[in-house]
Amino acid sequence: MKKTAPIVLLIVAAVAAMSVGSSQVDDFWSALLNPGSNEIVWQIRFPRVMAAVIVGAALGIAGLMAQGACNNAIAEPAILGTAAGASFGAVAGIATGLVQVGSLAALTFGTAGALLATSITFKLAALRGALSSFNLIIVGIAVSAIFTSLVGITSAVLNRADARSISFWSLGSLALVTNENLLGLIITTLAGGVIAWFIAPMLDRLSLGDHSAFHLGVNVPRVRLLALISLSLLAGGAVSTVGVIAFIGLAAPHIARFIYGPSHRALTIHSAIIGAFIVLVADTLARTIAQPNELPIGLATALIGAPVLIALVSVKNNVWRTQ
Amino acid sequence: MITIDEITIVRDGREIIYDYSEQIPAGSITVIVGANGCGKSTLLAAIAGDIAPVKGTITIDDVHPILTSPAQLAQIRAVAIQNQSYTLGFTVQQVIEMAGASVQVMQALELTDLAHRQVTALSGGETARVSIATAIAQDTPVLLLDEPLAAQDIHSRKRIIELLQKLAEGGKTIVVVAHSSESELSWADKVIKQFH
Repeated sequence: MKKTAPIVLLIVAAVAAMSVGSSQVDDFWSALLNPGSNEIVWQIRFPRVMAAVIVGAALGIAGLMAQGACNNAIAEPAILGTAAGASFGAVAGIATGLVQVGSLAALTFGTAGALLATSITFKLAALRGALSSFNLIIVGIAVSAIFTSLVGITSAVLNRADARSISFWSLGSLALVTNENLLGLIITTLAGGVIAWFIAPMLDRLSLGDHSAFHLGVNVPRVRLLALISLSLLAGGAVSTVGVIAFIGLAAPHIARFIYGPSHRALTIHSAIIGAFIVLVADTLARTIAQPNELPIGLATALIGAPVLIALVSVKNNVWRTQ
Repeated sequence: MITIDEITIVRDGREIIYDYSEQIPAGSITVIVGANGCGKSTLLAAIAGDIAPVKGTITIDDVHPILTSPAQLAQIRAVAIQNQSYTLGFTVQQVIEMAGASVQVMQALELTDLAHRQVTALSGGETARVSIATAIAQDTPVLLLDEPLAAQDIHSRKRIIELLQKLAEGGKTIVVVAHSSESELSWADKVIKQFH
């Protein structure tokens, strides 16, 4: 029951998400059971529901990689500079006229930006020798601030139409997702997910500390590099497609850990399912709660994720010792 | 056999060990004793391959720890560090099984009742025993233990020493850093006091 509940909830949420929207669909169940029969259900809502599921899964695993690589409970793509780097990569591509908002090329630029920013964070955090979790978080916040600032400056030189799209996208929205970038998103998520699955047992050992992991045969710098690549593919792909969605990378792995324990291999699957569920519910709320207007999805995910962060530091637990 | 050949180790600009040579025989228990800050743990870390001497060499049989890959080194030596801490709530059994088989070593160190307890909820002495058990479970020819007896009561100290003696009789080379006075070290085959 504990194992199957999240996937059952995810399927129920996906069906519910396809049934609601600004237009009424007559005989929804008949439309659902005949793929392609109804344009609203299959051409508009289905790609968006798929995008929510894949983005949520990608951000859930990305958070797991960030926390596992840093051995730190509050690490996530937004804190390590990964998300801001992805935003900058995509915006820089658009500003130079090389790519368009929401295109496959923007995703490539975003992933490269994510990799660049995360590498800078890891490099600067290790300047004084050993890579400490504390340094990673402090440097990550600084790198994130710099890239966020660069996004703002770059956006200012864009024409009004592009700037509006970027402004909407930077707050997080699945409204602009197309079949083209859905394909790119699937590729980056699969690639990042496979790396995460491969290094998961090494991340278990890394949780004992760098020295103990090394004593158990883990090549610590190599595992961190692979986690960084996985994190950049997952978060870079997601952010450059739908913008920065806060707190999923933080909340999904922690919720999964409380339910299923700390083993990274199991958490790779469960963080993905829980991340997908949260983004799907948040996106459905964002597009239906204030119809005909649509809210940025980040507003809903912050309401779900922020209490998890507060609980982490205020509730004593043995799942992740934070003090 | 561990051979330490004219090593000098510098940490944070300070010379911790200078031009030191020693041979540690195989299939024995060697205890390194000395005052706080004299470099006992540094010497153990150098044998483990954690830090490189600025001069001289250390070899375990013919292997240079510092030049060996982490995976290969993990087949040769296992280490229990001082003040091991755990951040994630793995169970005692899960942590030990990251290194190897858990059942026998948990019995030997009286950890069986704690097998399903989260390591984040253990006392200092229990945490140290899990760390020792993990190193033993790795089943390597060389075992390096930093202050394994420090947080233990008399009963646990006796159990650990008996287990180490049994492992040494079985052919393992064991190096222990300890705070004990020499009169308490009758269980050691060799005691190293001076290494400056």
